[in-house]
Amino acid sequence: MWVNKKKKKNILIVGGFHEARSLANSLLEKDYRVTVVNKNYADCEKLAEINKLNVIYGDGSKKFILEDADAASCQVAIALTESDETNLIICEMCKEFFHVEKTVSMLNDPSKTDFFYQMGIDRVVCALNMITNIMEENALMDEMMTMIPLEEGRLHIAETAILHNSAMIGKKLWELNLPKEIIIGCILRGDQSLIPRGDTSVKEGDILLMITSDKQKLNAVKELTKS
Amino acid sequence: MEKSYTIIAGCGRLGASIAGKLSEQKKDVMIIDCDKTAFRKLPMSFGGLTLAASVTDLERLKAAEIDKATVFIAVTDDDCTNICAAQIAKKVFHIEKVVARIYDEEKIPLVTGMEIDTICPTRLSEKEIADYIQIGGRDYVGK
Repeated sequence: MWVNKKKKKNILIVGGFHEARSLANSLLEKDYRVTVVNKNYADCEKLAEINKLNVIYGDGSKKFILEDADAASCQVAIALTESDETNLIICEMCKEFFHVEKTVSMLNDPSKTDFFYQMGIDRVVCALNMITNIMEENALMDEMMTMIPLEEGRLHIAETAILHNSAMIGKKLWELNLPKEIIIGCILRGDQSLIPRGDTSVKEGDILLMITSDKQKLNAVKELTKS
Repeated sequence: MEKSYTIIAGCGRLGASIAGKLSEQKKDVMIIDCDKTAFRKLPMSFGGLTLAASVTDLERLKAAEIDKATVFIAVTDDDCTNICAAQIAKKVFHIEKVVARIYDEEKIPLVTGMEIDTICPTRLSEKEIADYIQIGGRDYVGK
């Protein structure tokens, strides 16, 4: 029976303490096999308190430490150190020497994003960009309910409700004065979801799902929520 | 012949000394270090440019027009920073000659095939010491 069981994925996390701990906990819960590498002994001791977690003490940017951590058996490697350069090297080493399928790097300086992708890192997570996006979303929360940033925040899927005092009510989509870089992809009406056409008209209580470029987001919100 | 323009990343002992020598030869030099107090190591006569910035800060490097350089030398005290800076110099700014100092021999394969040259102090010392052992004694000292 155990043969049929899906092979457990091995995940390697290098650097970071709080991030590593919460990520490891969440991954272990989902039944992944997780190894963390940390070069701070005290942090390692605390991490070792987590059940089933493999902890390696050492500098993850050294090849022999990655060997100790058995990087070759990992499908995913995640670099969470404070230094962008170190994260880049860790990911490059995992790819080059240990043929890890997927490498993920944390990045502080968003201007390096394209460079990191160019160097063959599979996913680059820019914490600063994400926080900015979340803050922005929260600041605009009143008007727009949810926003899902895509492509490093260059594109958004946004959700807007049509309130009872909206000037949009009764208008057809082609009559709306929306910016060009925006598409209303779906209208949620009650428990129905409609794929709208230009002649579909907006009703009170509708929720519009739209795909929008980052630049046009604010204009779209203004246009749709004016009363 | 096109005039050479050298960029040195990292103003440590080696970086400062190379910068000083090139400046003495009236060559164009810019030296970059994130800590501006590091520039004190430069000789008084240094006539090149200094830039206080992270050596991997793409925006600052772009603003400093480092793509006009003909040589890029990465000699900070950190291997990862050197490799990253050298890769940026080659892949983003397409500088002709790029060399990185890498202490950890095992990291050298990361830049092979990228037209980046490496200097490994460990290997150099190893070779020197091997030579010394072979020739040895008074004959070798100072050669």
